[in-house]
Amino acid sequence: MIAAQICRRVGRILFVSAAASIFFHPQSGKAQSLSSEATQHWNAAHQAEAARQFDIAVKEYIKVTSLEPAFATGFASLGQAYMEQRDFTSALAPLKHALELDSNLMPAHQLLGYALLAQGYAAEAIPHLERAHEQGALGIAQVETSQLAEAIPNLQAALQKRPNDPDLLYYLGRASGLLSKQSIDTLLAAAPNSARAHQALAENYFVLRQMPEAEKEYKQALDMRPDTPNLHLELGQVFSLTSRWPDAEQQFHQELQLQPGNAEAAYRLGDALLHQGKAHEAHSILERADKLQPQMPETLYALGKAASLDGDEAAAEKSWLALLSIEREGELAAQTHFALAGLYRKQNKSEQAQREMSEFQRLRISVPAGAQTAQ
Amino acid sequence: MIGESLKIIFHFARALALLALTSGGAALLEVNSPRGVDFTLQNSPTSLKYLIETMPGGVALLDYNNDGLLDVFFVNGGRISSPMRLPENFQRHDPRYWNRLFRQNRDGTFTDVTEQAGLANAGDANYGMGVAVGDYDNDGFPDLYVTSYGKNVLYHNNGDGTFTDVTAKAGVAAGGWSVSAGFFDYDNDGKLDLFVTRYMEWDTQHSKDCGGNFHTYCPPGEFPRTTNVLYHNRGDGTFEDVSVRSGIAAKKGHGLGVAFADYDGDGLTDIYVANDGMQQYLFHNNGNGTFTEVGLETGAALNTDGGPLSGMGVVFQDYDNDGRPDVIVTTLPRQTYGVFHNEGGGLFTDRGLQTGVSMLSGVTAGWGVGLEDFDNDGQKDLFVAQGHVLDNVEKIDPSLHYLEPLLLAINHSSRFDSVDPGNPERFAARGTAFGDINNDGWIDAVVTVLGSHPQFLINRGGQSHWLTMTLRGTRSNRDGLGARVQVNGQTRFATTAGSYESANDKRLHFGLGSAKSANVEVVWPSGIHQLLNDVSADQFLEVREPEHP
Repeated sequence: MIAAQICRRVGRILFVSAAASIFFHPQSGKAQSLSSEATQHWNAAHQAEAARQFDIAVKEYIKVTSLEPAFATGFASLGQAYMEQRDFTSALAPLKHALELDSNLMPAHQLLGYALLAQGYAAEAIPHLERAHEQGALGIAQVETSQLAEAIPNLQAALQKRPNDPDLLYYLGRASGLLSKQSIDTLLAAAPNSARAHQALAENYFVLRQMPEAEKEYKQALDMRPDTPNLHLELGQVFSLTSRWPDAEQQFHQELQLQPGNAEAAYRLGDALLHQGKAHEAHSILERADKLQPQMPETLYALGKAASLDGDEAAAEKSWLALLSIEREGELAAQTHFALAGLYRKQNKSEQAQREMSEFQRLRISVPAGAQTAQ
Repeated sequence: MIGESLKIIFHFARALALLALTSGGAALLEVNSPRGVDFTLQNSPTSLKYLIETMPGGVALLDYNNDGLLDVFFVNGGRISSPMRLPENFQRHDPRYWNRLFRQNRDGTFTDVTEQAGLANAGDANYGMGVAVGDYDNDGFPDLYVTSYGKNVLYHNNGDGTFTDVTAKAGVAAGGWSVSAGFFDYDNDGKLDLFVTRYMEWDTQHSKDCGGNFHTYCPPGEFPRTTNVLYHNRGDGTFEDVSVRSGIAAKKGHGLGVAFADYDGDGLTDIYVANDGMQQYLFHNNGNGTFTEVGLETGAALNTDGGPLSGMGVVFQDYDNDGRPDVIVTTLPRQTYGVFHNEGGGLFTDRGLQTGVSMLSGVTAGWGVGLEDFDNDGQKDLFVAQGHVLDNVEKIDPSLHYLEPLLLAINHSSRFDSVDPGNPERFAARGTAFGDINNDGWIDAVVTVLGSHPQFLINRGGQSHWLTMTLRGTRSNRDGLGARVQVNGQTRFATTAGSYESANDKRLHFGLGSAKSANVEVVWPSGIHQLLNDVSADQFLEVREPEHP
């Protein structure tokens, strides 16, 4: 299953992003001392490849290599032709032989690295991918062989060249997650009763939405080290998710006492106050959050809501317009247009209200339905 | 400075009141299973997760025999086989799956009169959902309309303790999947019309489950929207389907709950439909037989963040005593119940945050809902029957629960504070009807529970005064449905509809606090204004509509 996934991913990398740099150019790899018969087959193979007739190309390359058994590039080309047919198994032998003939043939290292990786031989692929400086595939192979710390910089380097490559992003995410899990496992084994261990367990429970368990672990962590940054913040989020807003407020408040400069704690405290209808207090604390970390869309939206409920319509409008100046599309922008429409309707500014509603509806249509409803 | 002192005193008094209600004092309501009521709501859950299984059932509080005692009618689901084969047969001929009518006796016990009343066997092809109550022929006896997945049934009350199925003659079978219904007089012609919500285009042969390996009931968006139905009462025992002509059918949705009130004070009853997983509909009555859906432009369609609601139950009454009807819509968890405050001028704003309702409803799923003055202090309190739609929701999100507690929230100057609902148990609660079952002047509730017995929550009562009125229309419809009644600054809109799939006591109940008398103003659907001054408290009062303005 995993091998099949890698095969697909490697295949995709070969096709989409790396092909041009890995495959031989039809002319560039040609040896100068081929016999005329071998040259004929060599050219026929190239023509077949150009026409995407890879089965013919394979046959022609086989003839080349049988006529010229010391021609490393011929074997590498044969391997490449197999790979173009997605026949990674058959590609291995000619690629290996190419490297026996010429251990410095970089394209052969690249291709063999990919072919081995696609076949699930990640450990064997690594030296070839290292030689070829193929960082993306190397990172993937390292993830597969649990060399996570080594994989991450390679994947990051590859992403610098191809920033939105989904395969690289996937493996980077996976490597980071696995590395995090490794660290937590080590923490739990080495210091199972430490505050950090309880915090780590609590975070796991939180992700699984097992809130009573998460709450218990956070509280144990807090009993042991009450001044640990973010513990109150995280416990507050447990309470938020279970609609226990007064408890959430208390935790966020305590976090803010510990970390007066923590904008997230201020935002979450404001949000908890808002959920309890404490508009004036929420307004004030959200202003503070906005000062601590300006231009945060979530803060600006909540600040507008708090100001509106607090009766300060000018401040509400200002916050929401500020939000829209930095976030024009997406769910939060849609919500903000809706809020502004309500505000203008209340102020009898029907034209502006209409305009905001139109924007809201335009954005809502573009938001996937699944993002709007939850069951 | 004085204002600040008053504020402190107010908060202190409120804290004391809360303390009395939540810790020191007994709960307002108590569970009371009256003798003679033996009913189990048979929803018949299957592994195939047919969506109808999680949606019944309604309950009605009505005095069908006019003996002055409230009787209770329960709608049953039916038997679902797994899989269902055509022709669909829910075995409603089997007594286990009958709807049930229980007549209240003088001693507070009940007698099952289903069979003798002619209400047994609701039709094998009908899986029951909800009930509406109204005297559609103005003969003085309340009639029953039962909604179903299948065909709906109109039972005419013969006035002798029996009912007759007059569906075919009346032409109100609807078809498809009907959920809630209500009688109201949209054209003020003195004859009750009928509105029916329908949920979606769905049938057992085109069912599916969702949630991957978890196998859950599907959200409504998985199935096409459908139309609601409006029937106009011709006055000769028949109804005309005016859904298209009136504009109602122009808006397809996922209708569940329905409630009526005149939100803009133009003397015409408007319709609010709770839609599941989408915007809510407010149908403005244009006064010419047509309606215009104005949910979005009035601010009554979406929550405060512009998000859709999984609207299920709905109540359309005035919670803040400003004289204008507000809307509360119950929803699924991770949303909060919608509290659409009527600002006047045809505008609503979501006041979930200010009223505290958002805080009470973030992780619960609400169905039956009512704004009733349980403590007779002159402010309507909030009651919600709760329980998640998914019977395995804990597997998907352990922080949510299929069985949930009932919600009773006391209204303190438009701020709702949760108190002991009188029963610590958790339920998959659905329909809820409100009324004064024991005629003691204090509002009670009956809640249906999937796969289980109903919950009777009887009010313990107290010292505060009250006034309960029965309207007797002459020019208007006989029960005065649609009348706007004001008592000592409180307003109620006369209706039996609202909640979820259920029908409430038609009598209008007002808590009077310490007042021993009341001034009453009735604005009848006919337009007649009627004033009654210095009416004594603590009585059941019949108010007859003057023949002439």
